[in-house]
Amino acid sequence: MARGEIEGDWVMGWPDRKRATLIPGKDAQGRVINGRAPLTELEGLITPTDVYYVVNQLEVPEPVHPDDWTLAIGGEIERPIELSLKDLRKLPGRTVRAVTECAGNDAGFFDYLMKGGRKPSRINQQDMQKRAEMREKGELPSTEEIGNESTTTCAVSGGEFTGVPLAEVLKRAGLKPGAVCVRMEGFDRGRPDLAVQYRSVGRSDFQLVDPGVINYEKALPLEKALDPDTLLAWSMNGEYLLHIHGAPVRMVVPGWSGNWWVKWLQKLEVMNRMPACYYQTHYFVYGGSPEDPHKHMITAMGVRCIIIDPLDEDSPLPRGSHRIRGLAWSGMGAIARVEVSLDGGKTWREAHIEEPREKWLWVRWSHLWEVDQPGHYRIVARATDETGRVQPQTPWNYQRKHFDGIVPADVTIV
Amino acid sequence: MRVVVCVKQVPNPEIAASQFRVDEQAKTVVPVPGVALVMSPFDEQAVEAALRLRDRGHDVTITVVSMGTESARAVIKHGLAMGADDGVLLVDPAFEGADSYATALALSRAIGKIGGVDLVLAGRQAADWDAGVVGAGIAEMLGWPLVSFARELRVDGRAARVERMLDEGTEIIAAELPAVVTVSNELGAPRAPTLRETMRAGRKPVAVWSVADLGLETGEVGAQGARCMRERLFIPEKRSRCEFVEGGSPREQAANLARRLREAKLV
Repeated sequence: MARGEIEGDWVMGWPDRKRATLIPGKDAQGRVINGRAPLTELEGLITPTDVYYVVNQLEVPEPVHPDDWTLAIGGEIERPIELSLKDLRKLPGRTVRAVTECAGNDAGFFDYLMKGGRKPSRINQQDMQKRAEMREKGELPSTEEIGNESTTTCAVSGGEFTGVPLAEVLKRAGLKPGAVCVRMEGFDRGRPDLAVQYRSVGRSDFQLVDPGVINYEKALPLEKALDPDTLLAWSMNGEYLLHIHGAPVRMVVPGWSGNWWVKWLQKLEVMNRMPACYYQTHYFVYGGSPEDPHKHMITAMGVRCIIIDPLDEDSPLPRGSHRIRGLAWSGMGAIARVEVSLDGGKTWREAHIEEPREKWLWVRWSHLWEVDQPGHYRIVARATDETGRVQPQTPWNYQRKHFDGIVPADVTIV
Repeated sequence: MRVVVCVKQVPNPEIAASQFRVDEQAKTVVPVPGVALVMSPFDEQAVEAALRLRDRGHDVTITVVSMGTESARAVIKHGLAMGADDGVLLVDPAFEGADSYATALALSRAIGKIGGVDLVLAGRQAADWDAGVVGAGIAEMLGWPLVSFARELRVDGRAARVERMLDEGTEIIAAELPAVVTVSNELGAPRAPTLRETMRAGRKPVAVWSVADLGLETGEVGAQGARCMRERLFIPEKRSRCEFVEGGSPREQAANLARRLREAKLV
């Protein structure tokens, strides 16, 4: 197809644009078990559900009928309770629009910014199926194979979630003094795929702790658990939650990376100490190396800003007027400012931030670029959030989590 | 030059093998809920072959023909969105249960009814049953030459020059038009429809013809006209066997492996 040509398809019987599709990895039965969002093909702020990114740490469980589902709440509370979906839906609800981002999203850019070499692409995400097949066979990649794989990008999406604040449920259960966290347990169960950790670190020549078969669980610190925007959600983007996104009920923990958004929720346990959950003591941790004795769990994301248009792949571009466009978001509040530099960061110009600027959702930003000189241009953009944090916030860490560095777009003008 | 491309609607062949089911009692394939019906990929390449003739400057009118249920209109529309000019949908309850013979009969009659056809293209085989004989059947019924497994197709005056696949290489065949050519996957990827062409396709004509429109009797087509008897339909059991090739040294292991492969007629 000619460059710039729009693809067509038949949608509801009418000629239309070809709709963007998920870049999926499927199991032998054709079921999606992971997927990347086609970020560069989307518009607006809400990622359509069909193309919302998918990451799973354990095996995707068999679906549970919403009428058969219950949530047990126990631990350091006055009144242990069990709630059905109907019970949950009787509580005062809330809708939150938020970015969901995998902790490992854009991890490969850490290496690119530090060492150079091949720049990860947000378009070429072709080995998702290979990863899914390796996972089914229980194969572990060698360090060399990891180096040849495309790195994780586009594991981020924006959605609208409806549910009930976790705080409402905890209020009814009655917290006992001394409670420090809420252990959230999903009914997804299995043996962690160690390849995920190896890919995260970028090599597989070290020993990993194998916890055996476990349920997915995370212990959410009480302060975040009581945030009114932390939800038990049964709806996403205006419809009931899909199974692959955690139905009947999942956690929504705005600002914190996707591993906190426990899917297929079945149990909440209020605790007076932080338990040693595998997914916050061995994985999803900051540290200097696998042997680092002072690893600590990752929580809120940094400040992110990505350039969607133009991409490196759009070169060469003609002289004239171009719109530089992108998305920005933060783990700690609304985006207050986006700046663009056309000279690799020597001078900065204010970008236009489009409304709305919501606390947890990303914003679209743009900058009109008039260029009349041919040449190579390095465009960079950086964001500042309402708490005053400027990217980058997160230094390199051995699992390469929460990348929020400033990534250039390299464009040739002819 | 008028080109007819015969296309078939099939369940998306990209589905996982584990989803595929057959009803051994009814001797039919069980439709998988939620699996999209698409144009058979070889047929898509046949449409591409026709469009490449136009790209090379030939004045071609391309008609896409499909026999099936009303849902097959979707694959005709796909061909039109790729760039074909018009379509013919053969739909009639009497067409149901057709074998390759009855399909070739209906399609060849449709080609005759279109009239003035210089070239018929079809995929080398359909991606569902893989029989690969409808193209040959059409040629036989029309009394035209057949060139199968084309990887490249050119038209030079009143002759088609076809590079066709062989087991060990290719050969170039010249066939006088009118002719039938079946297209192989080596032709290369078909083009994706553009939005502009898809919109144009919305206004392109699609004729709908029944058995009577083709001048046939219901007893000649579909299950009644079939000449092939399906005795049994089943998914073959897959057996795999693992054999470790022994040897005192890597060289000896390699020699033993080569011998075993030769014995098994794999090399």
